[in-house]
Amino acid sequence: MRKIGWRKILATFIAVLGIALGWSLVEPQSVSAAEPTYTFATNNTFEPFEIQDSKGGYSGKNPGIEIEMLKKIAKHEHFKYKLKPMSFNGDLQALEGGQVDAVIAGMSVTNERKQKFDFSKPYYTDGVMMAVAKNSKITSLKQLKGKMVSAKSGTSAALFVKKNQKKYGYKIRYFDSSNTMWNDVKNGNTDATFDDGPVLQYGIRTGVPLKIVTKKPIDAQPVAVGFQKGQNLALQKKVNDGIDWLNKTGQMKQIVNKYTKSDKTTKSSTASRTIPGLLKANRSALLNGLWMTIQLTIVGIILAMIFGLILGVLGFMQSKLANGISSIIIYIFRGLPMIVLAFFIYMGLPNVIGHKVPLFLAGIMTLMLDEGAYIGAIVKGGFDAVDPGQWEAARSLGLPYRKALIKVVAPQGIKIMVPSLVNQFIITLKDTSILSAIGVMELTQTGTVIISQNMEGFKMWLIIGTIYIIIITLLTWLSNYIQKRMA
Amino acid sequence: MDKQYKVQVKDLHKSYGKNEVLQGINLNVKPSEVVCMIGPSGSGKSTFLRCLNRLEIPNGGHVYVDGYDIADPKVNINKVRENIGMVFQHFNLFPNMSVIENITLAPVQLKKESKEEAKKDALHYLEVVGLKEKTNVNPKTLSGGQKQRVAIARALAMKPDVMLFDEPTSALDPEMVGDVLEVMKNLARQGMTMIVVTHEMGFAKQVADRVVFFHDGNIREQGTPEQIFEHPQQEDTKNFLDKVLNV
Repeated sequence: MRKIGWRKILATFIAVLGIALGWSLVEPQSVSAAEPTYTFATNNTFEPFEIQDSKGGYSGKNPGIEIEMLKKIAKHEHFKYKLKPMSFNGDLQALEGGQVDAVIAGMSVTNERKQKFDFSKPYYTDGVMMAVAKNSKITSLKQLKGKMVSAKSGTSAALFVKKNQKKYGYKIRYFDSSNTMWNDVKNGNTDATFDDGPVLQYGIRTGVPLKIVTKKPIDAQPVAVGFQKGQNLALQKKVNDGIDWLNKTGQMKQIVNKYTKSDKTTKSSTASRTIPGLLKANRSALLNGLWMTIQLTIVGIILAMIFGLILGVLGFMQSKLANGISSIIIYIFRGLPMIVLAFFIYMGLPNVIGHKVPLFLAGIMTLMLDEGAYIGAIVKGGFDAVDPGQWEAARSLGLPYRKALIKVVAPQGIKIMVPSLVNQFIITLKDTSILSAIGVMELTQTGTVIISQNMEGFKMWLIIGTIYIIIITLLTWLSNYIQKRMA
Repeated sequence: MDKQYKVQVKDLHKSYGKNEVLQGINLNVKPSEVVCMIGPSGSGKSTFLRCLNRLEIPNGGHVYVDGYDIADPKVNINKVRENIGMVFQHFNLFPNMSVIENITLAPVQLKKESKEEAKKDALHYLEVVGLKEKTNVNPKTLSGGQKQRVAIARALAMKPDVMLFDEPTSALDPEMVGDVLEVMKNLARQGMTMIVVTHEMGFAKQVADRVVFFHDGNIREQGTPEQIFEHPQQEDTKNFLDKVLNV
């Protein structure tokens, strides 16, 4: 009897694996036979180097210095590329993990990074600058004693503030994107912020209410494309040749000037700053984000249910080994913060398996393991909550374990579980927002990207929050209806 | 083991940790015999009963039912249990099924009968326990006494040749007890082998062929109802009967 049980569990596991694998095949992987395709990690927002359009892509007219550069180089050097926008920290980890072939993200060439990565020829010189709120009295680094300063984690500005912390006696707060960081200064939570010069200058020209107080860039450093050390030599050569060609033909200067000198690229369309205006302007981006959130939730919940059911039954079986396996799996995935799990699957796992993990699959796997562990605990708890007398009555009639479970105990256990499961569905929907950390373009990430362009933090988060509340309300109604039907 | 006995228990031991609740019990039950087990709570009589169909796993000794040693791992315990009906203190009806589904579940699942046969049989046993009109109701709507009678019908539907009763009337309101005992008396009259843990001394006096008095994990005294109730030999038996009969 036990043998059959194990076989069934194994079959379910294989089915889940099959679904996951199928997904990875469905993921679009357009490859042209003639020209090689490379994957470049880049920033979500790093104006003026990277400027995302409202859909989170780079197909707009003014995608930023580096994106325009890359487009020209690729065409001239005959290769194709795919962009993976992430936080800068994510970029570096993805490159280290071999998830991507190169990083093009306003990356300064530092000695530390040279140990780990190869760099192309530099195409820009970049230095750190300090900015404060418009009404601030701070004008120099010496006035920062005891104050709060900020920088984006992993950037050269972050290295700079860390290095000089003892000298000036400030506290440091790290951020992942420029606009949240700048908003923090604007709101008075941070006294001063350090960022790359061009980034700050561009931001202020597009309406960020800060002022730069350092006269010239501190710690000026060259900016270049980063590669995995000793890898992709063909690509490295192509990029270097392309940079030479852009410099020689004067195109490089043209691109840089377009973003740093002229006003053409700033999109200060103050036309629609009202909530209906913002909704209208970002309608398709928000809908795409919402759709992704819904897809993640539904696929995630289904897989988490299967995984959780397996864990629950393993935890309940009359086998110490199965109980132990179930407890350990539940303990690990419940204990692990979901964001760590997401990073581990998306950036850590490729190191081990030597193969990239598609973004959507990584997101789904994260949800399946994390939510599945919770569902496993709920399932086990539900079975445990059934009166032991039910077992005894069923077994004393001669029913074998499996029949007693399926016919008598499971139906009662499931009834006990329903409210907790419904709660877990709602939590799953909310938890999809955590996947924005690895760059899944769901609702929250869509919001981050939109705000990086229009700086309307308050109104946009209000809109995003309202959307979440609405779908969660709908889901609650639906589940109440189902619960009533089941009772 | 001896063929003339339906149930034969030899030197049965059971402990929970250091607490030895059964300290080597020997008991033989003949076909059609009705044995009532009495004794203070904690004396081990319920544990003993639950060892007879392996709801509790004995630590030592042998339990033969119909010639099978149920302590032997090679014996298919499910098959043996099919022939041992059990009735619990708290009825343990399946709340997710109607009365008739409760009764037909095991015969149909264990392929003893077709669905139609099982239904016909179930109706017959519901008639035996006097609840034919409750065939399709949810057990939730029944009184305690009715639930217990359904539980008896459920056990009978497997056509067992031994019935175990674990304090079948302890959880019932006093006015419900009579109906349940009446059903049990009829069963006894028809020749069912029954082992009953009970606090109903009247029932034991009237129906039992033998009364067994448990004390501290041992059988302290056994005999006909007359011997036990009228002429108890042991001090413990006298004390116990004094307490329960003079309430």
